[in-house]
Amino acid sequence: MKTFLIDDDDLGNYLTETLLRLEGFSDDIRTFQAAEEALQALLTQLNEKIPQIIFLDLNMPVMNGWQFMEALAPYETRLHGRCRIYILTSSLALTDMEKAKTYSLVAGLIHKPIDVEEIRAIRSQLEEERAQ
Amino acid sequence: MSVSDSVPTNAFFDQHPDAVFTLNTAGELIRANARFAELLGYTPAQFVGTSLFQYLLPSETVRARQCFQQALRGEILTHDVSVRTKEQGIRSLLCTVFPLVEGQEVRGVHGIMKDLAAAERAEKHLRQREQQLSVIFNTMTDVVFVLDVEGEGRYRFSFANNAFAVTTGIPLAQLIGRLAQDVIPEPLRTMELARYAEAVATRQRQTWQETSDFPSGRITGEVTLTPVVNEDGTCTQLVGIVHDLTAQKQIAEALQISNERYEYVFRATNDAIYDWNIPGNTLYWGQSFEALFGHVLEENVSNLDLWAEFIHPEDAARTVNSLLQAVESADVRYWQSEYRFRRADGSWATIFDRGYVLRDAAGRPLRMIGAMQDISERKEAEERQLQMSREVFKQNADLQQFAYIVSHNLRGPLANALGFADLLQRTSKDTEVFDTSLKNLHASIRQLDAVLMEVNTVLSIRDQQEVPRLELVHLAGVCQRVAQSLEEPLHECAGTIVCHIPEDLRVSGNRAYFHSIFYNLFANAIKYRAEGRPLVVEVEGNASPETGTTITISDNGSGFDTVKAGQEVFQLYKRFHAVGPGRGIGLFLVKSHVESMGGTVAVESQVNVGTRFILHFS
Repeated sequence: MKTFLIDDDDLGNYLTETLLRLEGFSDDIRTFQAAEEALQALLTQLNEKIPQIIFLDLNMPVMNGWQFMEALAPYETRLHGRCRIYILTSSLALTDMEKAKTYSLVAGLIHKPIDVEEIRAIRSQLEEERAQ
Repeated sequence: MSVSDSVPTNAFFDQHPDAVFTLNTAGELIRANARFAELLGYTPAQFVGTSLFQYLLPSETVRARQCFQQALRGEILTHDVSVRTKEQGIRSLLCTVFPLVEGQEVRGVHGIMKDLAAAERAEKHLRQREQQLSVIFNTMTDVVFVLDVEGEGRYRFSFANNAFAVTTGIPLAQLIGRLAQDVIPEPLRTMELARYAEAVATRQRQTWQETSDFPSGRITGEVTLTPVVNEDGTCTQLVGIVHDLTAQKQIAEALQISNERYEYVFRATNDAIYDWNIPGNTLYWGQSFEALFGHVLEENVSNLDLWAEFIHPEDAARTVNSLLQAVESADVRYWQSEYRFRRADGSWATIFDRGYVLRDAAGRPLRMIGAMQDISERKEAEERQLQMSREVFKQNADLQQFAYIVSHNLRGPLANALGFADLLQRTSKDTEVFDTSLKNLHASIRQLDAVLMEVNTVLSIRDQQEVPRLELVHLAGVCQRVAQSLEEPLHECAGTIVCHIPEDLRVSGNRAYFHSIFYNLFANAIKYRAEGRPLVVEVEGNASPETGTTITISDNGSGFDTVKAGQEVFQLYKRFHAVGPGRGIGLFLVKSHVESMGGTVAVESQVNVGTRFILHFS
């Protein structure tokens, strides 16, 4: 399962990536420390293989998680059903949870650190959808 | 009465105003004067030798002869006679006869006739005149009195009109015939008597004003005293007229009191009180106007244009228009406005102006009375309060933001530590993942510690709003010392820091703060240097009494987009570089330090060209 990890914190990226690999969630994981780079990578292969799952951090310099979502807005219909975005944040703020609901591309919000149960839940969700 | 032996002289005859004649013992006219002839319509010569009785009415001849006989016997008699004039008219005359004695012998009779009608008419006329004068004297409101001058300082009231009694409350019965010194009360008496004496001595009219208490109340009058002088120049009488000024005096006094009160209000109030005559466009300002604004008016009376000239240009049109509109609206009584008004020294006072418009029955504006109140201080206090609440609000918002950021920044490494601890449990000890996870767990905990240290630093800066100790800081020295402390990282990236600050430049501030400022700016320059060219940081400083001290720190680093960054450059935990270990605290510290020393900091930057920080201390 093609997966993007977007977080300026390299320790966080390493942690998430290792857990995903240990769980056998994905063997195609790309990490980005800047949201701008991830956006560019996504848009250049829009017609080809886009990631099915994106884990997106919120608090990042230059382009934060919400700005990344805004930048994706024009491509929403083309991404819908092909790409699920999970907000992965250390923030516990309720406002972020409320805001996450306003984006149809956002499938959920996960508080760091991501754990095994959460990874398994995401996988089973995907499998259910695929079965339908 | 004894009878004179002399014959009346010609002069006596001719010049006597009455008709005079002489009869012989037979009753024949010996002589008659011109007046006698005139009464009867003849010439005096025509009478000689004629009998007097032929000129009398026949009905009166008998009585006339009896009187004649009695006169011949030595009596003096007066009786009425009617004579027939040459033109057959009849005149009533009063006739007095007395004997003409020569030696011891009665030779005839002298007679004097008076025109009774004329005498009656004169008396009647006199009576009428007297009545008229009496009416005038007693109906006039001015007091009139006459004093007979008796000498030796004695003046006796011989006449006074009703007004005297009414005004003074002294009945005329108690006045007429009495001496002035017995009637006039002290302290008026002494003064009055002195005036009388003056009038008598100088024979000049005296005029003065006096106020005195009478039974009818306090009376103020203007007295005119006219001496009456007889032929030999002696003053025999004084005629006084007193014009009662009490009512006028009371009005004048009331007016004066009211004016005084108005003057005191003018002086007591801090407000500039004005009185604007609208049709004439004259403007009168109270004394406070000068005191409040320092404008020295050449003439107190000015006009509305002068007032308008002093109003702040931004307020003038609005204020003047609203005033004119209020004045033109017949039903508007009050006008008020707030505006800035120029003081003589060029500064601006904030004025609250409130005026009352006086109108005539048709609603036309006549005057406006108002007060300009200087509310600058109150306004400034309000401004300060507003500024303070803004600051408090901002600080509160900052604190909220700070709490949010801190929790986020704490939560980041904490979440990582949790994650790695969890991972360690799931992996075998001798794997690469285990080693890395352990290493990362340490790193996360160190980060956690670093965040807490920062929080401590930031909090201590926020607490310390004022610089504890001001000193003259030798900038070049501080700059060079900081550069030396960064020698190692500079060497690693082949960078240089060039300090051009003049050796003698000193700035009032805090040495530790300047140290921190240079350290953070240099560390940022090293952190965000451009790839592919060696870093060069140039520091310049110049000072002048006019412009203050300016320090610029310029680098040739990677720069950032100032448009995107906007005002957030100096905000806590804001980062503008995607790469590198920035925590978003350095520039926050720089700004805090600069501002707590009363300076300002600005930044110019261009992506891939470099960044320049400008510090300014005035």
